[in-house]
Amino acid sequence: MREPPDDPRTGPDDGEPTPPPPSDMPPPRAPAFRRGAARDDAVPRIETVRLTAPDLKRRAAMAKTRRRLGFTAIGFGVLFVAVMLKLADATIIQPLQPHRPERPIAQLLDPPKTAGSVSPARRATITDRNGEILAISLPTAALYANPRELIDPADAAHKLKSVLPKLDEEEAAKRLAESGKQFVYLARQLSPREQLMINALGIPGIYFEPTERRRYPMGRAAAQVLGGVDVDGHGVAGVERFFDQRLHDDPTPLRLSIDVRVQAVVRDELSQAMDEFRAIGACGIVMDVRTGEVLAMVSLPDYDANMVGSASPDERFNRAVTGMYEPGSTFKLQTAAMALDGGIAHIWDEFDASRPIRIGRFTITDFEGKHRWLYLPEVLAYSSNLGAAHIAQAVGAERQRAWLRGMGMFNRIGIELPEVGLPIVQPASNWKEVTTLTVGFGHGIAVSPLHVVRGTAVLANGGIMLQPTILAKSLQGGGHLDAMPANPTQPLPPPPGERILQQSTSDTIRKLMRLVVTDGYGKTAEIPGYYVGGKTGTAEKVGAHGYRKHTNVAAFMSVFPMNQPRYAVYMMLDEPHANASTHGYATAGWVAAPAAGRVIARIGPMLGLLPDIADADAIKQALYIPLQPGRPPGAPRTPPVAAATPEARPAATGQRAQRPGQPIPANGPMTPVLRPAPRDQRHQAQAEPPAAPPTAAVLVPALATR
Amino acid sequence: MSDRRLIRETSFDLTGKLFRVSWLYVLLLCALAGVGYAALYSAAGGSPEPYATRHVMRFSFGLVLMLGIALVDIRFIARLAWPAYAASLALLVLVARMGHVGKGAQRWIELGGIQLQPSEMMKVALVLALASWFHRASWERMGNPLFLIPPIIAVLAPVGLILKEPNLGTAVITAMVGAVMFFGAGVRWWKFVLVAAPVPFAAKIGYGYLHDYQKARIDTFLNPESDPLGAGYNIIQSKIALGSGGMWGKGYLQGTQGHLNFLPEKQTDFIFTMIGEEFGLVGGLAVMGLLALIVLGGMLIALRCRNQFGRLVALGISFNFFMYVFVNIAMVMGAIPVGGVPLPLVSHGGSAMITVMIGFGLLMSAYVHRDVEFEDRRDAV
Repeated sequence: MREPPDDPRTGPDDGEPTPPPPSDMPPPRAPAFRRGAARDDAVPRIETVRLTAPDLKRRAAMAKTRRRLGFTAIGFGVLFVAVMLKLADATIIQPLQPHRPERPIAQLLDPPKTAGSVSPARRATITDRNGEILAISLPTAALYANPRELIDPADAAHKLKSVLPKLDEEEAAKRLAESGKQFVYLARQLSPREQLMINALGIPGIYFEPTERRRYPMGRAAAQVLGGVDVDGHGVAGVERFFDQRLHDDPTPLRLSIDVRVQAVVRDELSQAMDEFRAIGACGIVMDVRTGEVLAMVSLPDYDANMVGSASPDERFNRAVTGMYEPGSTFKLQTAAMALDGGIAHIWDEFDASRPIRIGRFTITDFEGKHRWLYLPEVLAYSSNLGAAHIAQAVGAERQRAWLRGMGMFNRIGIELPEVGLPIVQPASNWKEVTTLTVGFGHGIAVSPLHVVRGTAVLANGGIMLQPTILAKSLQGGGHLDAMPANPTQPLPPPPGERILQQSTSDTIRKLMRLVVTDGYGKTAEIPGYYVGGKTGTAEKVGAHGYRKHTNVAAFMSVFPMNQPRYAVYMMLDEPHANASTHGYATAGWVAAPAAGRVIARIGPMLGLLPDIADADAIKQALYIPLQPGRPPGAPRTPPVAAATPEARPAATGQRAQRPGQPIPANGPMTPVLRPAPRDQRHQAQAEPPAAPPTAAVLVPALATR
Repeated sequence: MSDRRLIRETSFDLTGKLFRVSWLYVLLLCALAGVGYAALYSAAGGSPEPYATRHVMRFSFGLVLMLGIALVDIRFIARLAWPAYAASLALLVLVARMGHVGKGAQRWIELGGIQLQPSEMMKVALVLALASWFHRASWERMGNPLFLIPPIIAVLAPVGLILKEPNLGTAVITAMVGAVMFFGAGVRWWKFVLVAAPVPFAAKIGYGYLHDYQKARIDTFLNPESDPLGAGYNIIQSKIALGSGGMWGKGYLQGTQGHLNFLPEKQTDFIFTMIGEEFGLVGGLAVMGLLALIVLGGMLIALRCRNQFGRLVALGISFNFFMYVFVNIAMVMGAIPVGGVPLPLVSHGGSAMITVMIGFGLLMSAYVHRDVEFEDRRDAV
């Protein structure tokens, strides 16, 4: 911008009368105000201008302002440069690093120096897998007195009161006066400052006993896993209780498999989902599918581990291992796997989901079903109870029970937490045909979320049994995986361990899990580049009078990346409520799957997995499985299925018509509807519960342990 | 020269005005808003929702508002200066009585669904009012101390009200805006010294009369790092994020501190940290260069104005913008302790954006009407 001249020829007042200049004004001297003007531009016209005194004053003010503008601009420049230098300082000259002590804090703390006493070894620190401190014992002191050595008990109590305002002076004086005793506790957990001030009082007969105080710097982050300690420093729950003796005897830090960053992400997403859908509780688990290490275990509501004493039972309840829930549709993966592994069914087999199954007094139906025969991939993608029941029927009770026993579904999970609960399973004598059918779609059996996670992880990792653990196994995790195979379409080599299903079955299940996310009810969990696979599960909760309508446990069981499975992510909401954003559905596909997707997007990079977009086409190809696979030439029809469903196959099998105008929910609550008589399809979800529990599903109050 | 003819006319037509708008300057503002879009896209984790799209819509609205104001005759604006000031003062009084308590302080007021921060409006109104006052001043009158008393009151009244909110940061900025207007108008240097000298003593005495919790609040304000889990947390996280950016940054959408929610309020006050983390020193300097160009442009507009009112308005608006920029950037680097100042046109947030665009509208009006003459100049005699 060209600097404008204060050009005298712009005098505007030619035609107007000019008041006489005040006497104290100097006569107008035009050239004085031509500073800065282009001289040749101004000179020829100057004689035509008449300037008045006010003009001159105005011009003087303008000129002054102009100089001042210059100063201001210089000021701006100086401050800008200062800020720029500061930016250079903050980014490259002296960048601030996240604070990390050079040695672990546990080592920085010197043992308390208390005269005449040998300090006991402090309870061992608990860290996460990366060495972040989850629990640490800090030295404190307890105050005691030997009344025999005291000179003036009342005076001593009075002096102590000046340092410890909470001390009951009269009570203390009375106890100090009991000359028969040699040891009287006065206060616990003194701060170093209080200790110093009491020392300075110089009261004879007053001593300190070194004690310690357990602190949980992460507060709520992993409260139920850590548990807590009582006033004497003994573990009352969680890891603190399970490893109580170890923590007491061995001062080396106990390193958990928990990754506190992953833990925080899972907790963050769960609590957001819990708020959004007004759920009463939530549970989230992240597990390494190759080692069984649990990277995150969250149960909401939770509590601050520093205040375990004031936590309510509901808050202390660890849903991940203590809560026994009917797994619902997430169990259909097990049903499909047992049928495929035993050669009982093939992916091209079809199952009758066209009509409800009536068995005994009960009827099994699909919610928002397709009302036709479904191929095996469709049974999973559309989460058909009927299809899964037919598959389970083909497998039969014996093989089903053997499989589930092998998967550890009948026993405690065995993780290092004292709270592990026992699954609720019908005994063999009471395992009726209806039980086989309902267990096929995850009802009539109640297991902990960690059981579901372990079972699914085993299906995905190549078929190797896992023992879930809360302790870190390897430095980096990843399960004895030295290097990722170069080809992202090849499955990872199976981890060492006992094989309980064939590699080929695992490969098919991986594709089916991926199919649920690409084409089924799990679409909301998709995160590009992470090839998420999973299965939704929405189970109605059991109350005192059977299944409670509209009271769901909505879970999404996912594994990623499906081409080379590494981590299992389980997200569950207890009694979520639908809202406008879910179009009135409170089902897993709407409430749990999106949260699982967000967790995967956030923890993937933390765990060193970058989204693989470059190989997307090849991976997509490798994981492809059609919804309706063609029967390969020469493949046998599957007799067990035909035998299990004696009804003649309807002629309209090939007809793939969908009912017009029927919306496809993200995931209908594929709730088993066990009821005396069929009714209108659309209202089955609201139908009555079974009258008498024992014949059908095991009716387990899902939160009976509360 | 057409300029000379324009001066004589009381108004010139709309097309003529549109031609006189500095479109280069508008382009600079659009570029800055573009930086804001990119940063907010990243702050939302690589998504135009929920920040970036709304940012563009707000900016478009602000741009229309700005151009509308730019076409309003500066003499008409000058006549509105004192009414605008009175209205802002009334709003400040209102907010003190019935304001919505947001983020711990009474600063907001609901007006027809729009949340207003009257202290922000006050800064613009104060610039207008003081420009109008000093426009009428001759150089001789400036020397008369009595002539300076009304504008001093005009500054102190809102400053006092803003202090009561309590919003120490904005109060100080408002006082400084007032001071710069005095300075630009040509008040002598020693008078500033005279006014500024007793301030530290007065502050010290005033501090003694405060309650303990108020003292604690001021202490944390002055030294946030003394409270690393509270007010200091943001600054420390911000410094870590900037430090992790280094020379070239981590790359767009790659900033872990920001994306993993370690950086609080990344879409509002700490947007510059996001930029610094993802584009490093180079990106930060580039954005600051753009901001400096905008301030410089405002100063050049001030120089180009041939009337004192326009010149002072341009100065005041430029200074106000500069204060936003300076305070925000210095704050995210922990250089100064003020909180709650957004980076204009980049941060997410409607109230500040609209206020800043109104200011730029006034600036542009000063530029469009850079050569007009005020009829009331003789009032000064």
